[in-house]
Amino acid sequence: MLPAPSAAVRPDPIPARAGIGLRARHYRDVLEQRPAIGWFEVHSENYFGDGGAPLYYLEQIRARYPLSLHGVGLSLGSADDLNRAHLQKLRSLIERFEPALVSEHLCWSSIGGRYLNDLLPLPYTEEALRHVCARIREAQDFLGRQILIENVSSYLEFAHSTIPEWEFLAAVASASGCGILLDVNNVYVSAMNHGFDAARYLRALPAAAIREMHLAGFSVNRYEDGEILIDTHGAPVAEPVWTLYRQALRQFGPLPTLIEWDTDIPPLAVLQDEMRRADAILNEERHARVA
Amino acid sequence: MPGLPELQAGFAAAVFEDDNRIASALRTGRFGGERLLQIYRHNSFASLTRALEAVYPVVARLVGEGFFRYAADRYIRQQPSTSGNLHDFGDRFAQFLEAFEPAATLPYLPDVARLEWAWHCVFHAAGHAALALEQLAAVPAAQHDRLVFGLHPAARLLASDYPILRIWQANQPDAEEQEIDLAEGGVRLLLWRRALDIEFKILGAGEFQLLRACADQPFAAACAAALAAEADFDLPAALQQHVLLGTIASFHLRPDTDPGTTLQGNTP
Repeated sequence: MLPAPSAAVRPDPIPARAGIGLRARHYRDVLEQRPAIGWFEVHSENYFGDGGAPLYYLEQIRARYPLSLHGVGLSLGSADDLNRAHLQKLRSLIERFEPALVSEHLCWSSIGGRYLNDLLPLPYTEEALRHVCARIREAQDFLGRQILIENVSSYLEFAHSTIPEWEFLAAVASASGCGILLDVNNVYVSAMNHGFDAARYLRALPAAAIREMHLAGFSVNRYEDGEILIDTHGAPVAEPVWTLYRQALRQFGPLPTLIEWDTDIPPLAVLQDEMRRADAILNEERHARVA
Repeated sequence: MPGLPELQAGFAAAVFEDDNRIASALRTGRFGGERLLQIYRHNSFASLTRALEAVYPVVARLVGEGFFRYAADRYIRQQPSTSGNLHDFGDRFAQFLEAFEPAATLPYLPDVARLEWAWHCVFHAAGHAALALEQLAAVPAAQHDRLVFGLHPAARLLASDYPILRIWQANQPDAEEQEIDLAEGGVRLLLWRRALDIEFKILGAGEFQLLRACADQPFAAACAAALAAEADFDLPAALQQHVLLGTIASFHLRPDTDPGTTLQGNTP
């Protein structure tokens, strides 16, 4: 084991560069190679344990890189009461690791105490808007800080939705004071599945609220009568998503951008290739703004 | 038009109970509502099954992929996930397998599952400093009957009528093929984590009873239980060994006749 790192010199904040979603299989590579990676993001729940390897490696890596905590299980949009035990774990983790960013999803994952452990779509109604904003405020009050809220991929829409998702997301940010984590891949996946214009989605978002972007790969479910894109985080970022990403940078300026890869996780070098591509686009857009 | 609670309850019923009535609340275009719900049903079951498989790789290997998926499907429906943290899912899988008729021909399977859940708990458990020997030495002899020792938070005890450690070891990814005779008998096990590495120790009857009783009984009672389990048990040697290994990691004095003089041992 390495000596316990000092908490006094932790790198902050998260730069407007590409980062990588940290997975257990890469812990040792990161610590041995100290690769030039702008920052790391982890799934908060993977560090909800009381000790052992996950927390040990995260301490070591946190001492060397800026960190973002990204939750997948808070179920902010659920009609159930907020899960206080879950929030308490998150607060302890925030106190321990001092992440520069903390994010969650615009979705629900549980009802009646039963968890589906998936990022499920909300109906985009005034009722859901009021509900999710109140809950984001409650979470932010409990955690004592702003959180970022990410748009999710969806495979269905509710017939009684009255608000386009882009307006709903913008309204959530302005009414709750949360920031936006713009998942460019999710915009593309949902745009393809539901037939809306991804560029229009981006144009509707308030630039000042956007603090981070996500890039990931999707897969395609093919049926005899059509196809549905599924957000699997198990493939390289698709070409049209890179194009949309460039457009988002042009509109919102250079922002911390995460490469996510959570299933069939490849060697770190593959993620670094994706990261370098994002960094190159970030640099081009940065210079284009200066010129 | 359903309100949020009804909509979410209907969605969960579609995923877990194949009750697709909520399909009438979906916007349908190219695909019908049932197909769209099936995508979410598949996603939830796939991620919960993956979570179970991550904790129970040996059970999965013993029964094969198809059987494991079937068992996982039944388990997910019977014992739904109750946490937003997938690492919490699967705590009742051993009990489920005990009552799972298709697995009745594999009587050792629930104990293998118990071993894997214990391994999972030990992996995520808190660390703890070694026992403070100076503090222990300072306890006056007159108070020794009030000593209660505590096991390391990352230590678990398991007893089985089957050779579950050998089964577990033979089914690790890098293990060589080997025959295991179920008739070779049971095992008493200690699993614990030192630094980051999880270790196993096969325990004798006295040692097992000592550690098990240590968790909730005064030391004198634990000693009596150990000696009852194994008449020629070398108690001082076992005690010393487990203090050195760190499996006995704390102590306190039980408030007995005089609760005012409770002395706390080291706490994490």
